[in-house]
Amino acid sequence: MSTEHIRNFCIIAHIDHGKSTLADRLLEKTHTISSREFRHQMLDDMDLERERGITIKASAVALKLVRNGKEYQLNLIDTPGHVDFNYEVSRSLGACEGALLLVDSSQGVEAQTVANAYLAMEHNLTIIPVISKLDLPQSRPDEVLVEMEKTLGIDPHEALRVSAKTGEGVDAIFDAVIERIPPPKGIADAPLKALIFDSVYDEYRGVIIYLRIFDGSVKVGDEIYMMKTKSSFKVEEVGVFKPKMVVKDCLFAGEVGYCIANIKSLHDVKVGDTVTHNRERAAEALPGYRAPMPMVYCGVYPADNADFHLLREALERLSLNDSSFTFEPETSQALGFGFRCGFNINIVQTAPNVTYEILKTNKEVIRVDNPEKVPPVNEIEEFREPVVRASFVLPTEYVGTVMQFAEGRRGRYKSTDYLSEKRAILVYELPLAEIIFDFFDKMKSATRGYGTLDYDFIGYEPADLVKLDILVSEKRVDALSTIVHRKDAEIKGRKLVKKLKNEISRHLFEVVLQAAIGSRVIARESIRAIAKNVTAKCYGGDITRKRKLLEKQKEGKKRMKSVGNVEIPQKAFLSVLSVDE
Amino acid sequence: MRMIKDTSPKALYIHIPFCVKRCNYCDFNSTVSASNTIDRYLDAVEREFETLKDRYLFHTVYIGGGTPTVLNESQLERLLDSAIHYGMVSDNTREFTVEANPATVTQAKARLLKDHLVNRISIGVQSFQEKHLKMLGRIHTGDDAKDTFALLRKAGFHNINVDLIFGCPGQTLNDWEKDLEVAIGLYPEHVSTYALTYEDDTPLARDLQNEVISNLDESVELEMYKTAITYGTDNGYNHYEISNFAKSGYECVHNNFYWKNLSYAGVGAGAFSFINGVRTAHEKNVLSYIDGILQNNDTTVFRERLPDAQSAAETVVMSLRLRKGVSNADFYERFGCKIDDRFRDQIGNLSREGLVSYEDEHLRLTEKGLFVADTVMAEFL
Ligand SMILES: Nc1nc2c(ncn2[C@@H]2O[C@H](COP(=O)(O)OP(=O)(O)OP(=O)(O)O)[C@@H](O)[C@H]2O)c(=O)[nH]1
Ligand code: SF4
Ligand SMILES: [Mg+2]
Repeated sequence: MSTEHIRNFCIIAHIDHGKSTLADRLLEKTHTISSREFRHQMLDDMDLERERGITIKASAVALKLVRNGKEYQLNLIDTPGHVDFNYEVSRSLGACEGALLLVDSSQGVEAQTVANAYLAMEHNLTIIPVISKLDLPQSRPDEVLVEMEKTLGIDPHEALRVSAKTGEGVDAIFDAVIERIPPPKGIADAPLKALIFDSVYDEYRGVIIYLRIFDGSVKVGDEIYMMKTKSSFKVEEVGVFKPKMVVKDCLFAGEVGYCIANIKSLHDVKVGDTVTHNRERAAEALPGYRAPMPMVYCGVYPADNADFHLLREALERLSLNDSSFTFEPETSQALGFGFRCGFNINIVQTAPNVTYEILKTNKEVIRVDNPEKVPPVNEIEEFREPVVRASFVLPTEYVGTVMQFAEGRRGRYKSTDYLSEKRAILVYELPLAEIIFDFFDKMKSATRGYGTLDYDFIGYEPADLVKLDILVSEKRVDALSTIVHRKDAEIKGRKLVKKLKNEISRHLFEVVLQAAIGSRVIARESIRAIAKNVTAKCYGGDITRKRKLLEKQKEGKKRMKSVGNVEIPQKAFLSVLSVDE
Repeated sequence: MRMIKDTSPKALYIHIPFCVKRCNYCDFNSTVSASNTIDRYLDAVEREFETLKDRYLFHTVYIGGGTPTVLNESQLERLLDSAIHYGMVSDNTREFTVEANPATVTQAKARLLKDHLVNRISIGVQSFQEKHLKMLGRIHTGDDAKDTFALLRKAGFHNINVDLIFGCPGQTLNDWEKDLEVAIGLYPEHVSTYALTYEDDTPLARDLQNEVISNLDESVELEMYKTAITYGTDNGYNHYEISNFAKSGYECVHNNFYWKNLSYAGVGAGAFSFINGVRTAHEKNVLSYIDGILQNNDTTVFRERLPDAQSAAETVVMSLRLRKGVSNADFYERFGCKIDDRFRDQIGNLSREGLVSYEDEHLRLTEKGLFVADTVMAEFL
């Protein structure tokens, strides 16, 4: 079967520039779904996405289109645009030959526009620039084209101008996709070679893998072999997304679709792995992707220890659905940065922290994802932390503010480039630890919402770090330990105990809070004991009122963890993050 | 577990929700109303008496408010007459209390009370000092309070309680000692001392929020409370309940029903009843209450039947207010299990902290526990 009629493409854009809306329009115009079935943002199929309106899981859909009497199959692969999902963008790109580079004409080039465009170029994709939201009064397409030319070397004449909202100009996109993006170059009769670019877990069907077939074909009954995990499975069903799953007899070279093969857990599948036939194996695997290394960790503990099994179940379910989510039930649990998980259990979450590297005096290098695991000072030769390269795109008037801000976070200035007279790209190298919490929001507010940010991990670097411990009534509370730069340790310690003093309510005894580095106490506060707490009589026998009062007192204890006799509220565990306020 | 005994209420509370003016700290059910509203209110109360007639035999009756003595002489007479007429009170009633506020009691009213079987008066003095009375928004002076006391004594009342408030903004320990001295100098049979609380939506709470006034330091309040206890006990009063002091034999019988979480009936707007294990409350709004009762509608706005476990917890919480505490015998009789079995953890933890003691089959607050009673009690819920 020829691949001449197939095009595989994706849409890349900065967050909120309108990918999902444009995808909806493309689906609608090709009648891929009837208007009765149509829901907004068809491709965002996880509930979480619908709630937040952010695309997390890449989805794929086959669009059917007739042009010049020929029927084409356009496979659209949706990608996430959020700053934290770079890895997922990358894996979608691997399945495509072309990309629509979508830019909101009222916003212009933003940090992830640049990052995603470069990623697409690295994957040798044909880029079709699309300027969108032309219907908005504040749209400024000509300026935006200049920005694209300056930063990305994009020829303004190649750009399409559309409004995904009204549908204006969208038809031209189909023509451009057919004319400019090359058809896939697969060899139909070579051994099967298919890239797993995504996988989801379905309660009834088990794991569904998303495949881009490069060479050969796959059909029901085939015995497939995963080249990296070295496991084999029997194919039960193959098909394409329209966008619902539609069963097909066979998937051919160049096509994008799904495969169900009695796979029980997402952990049996590696995204980026190459699928081939067990009997007739491909000689070598496709390039694939670097697995994301969880870089940010935080502890999640049930507020009530009796809920431990519920928490474990919730985490297991989560990990079934997302293979980049890992957790260790007994100790600390890893959480993808930025995820706010909807646990329906009372939990106490600790502050997230990055993964450090420590070179020990015995020359062993260990990874530390939990401050608790930091060895004693005399065993540490070198403390290393992850560093990122952060690019800010922002109006020139905010350059000074953001520089000051980045420097306050131990940033190292790299460069400034101008997109236009009004907008600049500022590049800094920053410790990841300095940006995982409130950095993005702070930067946003410092630029009145105009600044955008993208960052890439560049490596580990030695730094003068120490572990700051917190003792509550003489007991060290692991979950409150943090790793900080030595020069900030005293100030942070002092601020932290002050903050905790406000978060922890008074007890019937004095509660002493201390910050310490090793055995050296650097700050101390105490919360005085409740001296008197007796209220008035019950008038006219209204006992319910008294009860409510006492119950309110109890209610506050729910999201708390007791350490010794001291009740520590959830908020206190997160106060580690915001000591500067 | 066994059914709760104690079904028939032996205490009756009658609420009179009217005052001359609202005090700044007040969040009781009370309004300033026209005289004809009070007349209609008394119609409704009478209707309730009629329903209760012959059903129960009350050992104690308590008319509280609001300010019962805000009723004019004929209204007061009517209320007392109908209470007697419908058998709410009789010669056999052990304790019949009426709350009275200074500057609202005339000689005629005092005589009316005396002639209608009232045998205990509770006077809302709060303070004898003008600056604090003003701050609280009371309508009377310190002298008014002394006069009212004297008037009631002269009318023949031998069981009088004086209500005092401590912890007013700006109040010093010395101020409080003077109030205690004056109060005790009147030789009342009973004294109640309450710490001022800032209830939501009261003018005083707003002033606190707006920093027009500031509340007293907790340690000063604690000193005041301790002083009250010392003064009371030194002067021959028995500190028998968290906030209450009495000469021997003059402990309030009526409130004892609340403290022991026993049955009682309630009449009037917003009044609570606790009968057959069911707690109910009437409509609070005076006009809705009147209309509801007079049109024979159900004016119940709240109803609950607590599961035994919760009822047991409440019983402990309320009874801990009494210095003699909760007796295991009473508890076992009512709930069919031992108090130290039911609350093993709490009793264990709290006695380790020295906040409660369990001795001679009585669970009580220690002195240390007394000062933080709310925190201790919350542990039992
Ligand atoms: N006026 C106008 N609004 C648009 C247009 N396209 C998208 N929007 C709006 O822009 C917002 C973001 O659109 P989405 O399609 O959710 O953006 P997205 O790129 O998928 O966002 P993420 O998945 O979070 O990266 C929504 O409020 C859309 O309604 C357009 O052409 N014109
Ligand atoms: S006298 Fe008592 S009930 Fe009346 S307003 Fe004052 S505090 Fe409230
Ligand atoms: Mg989207």
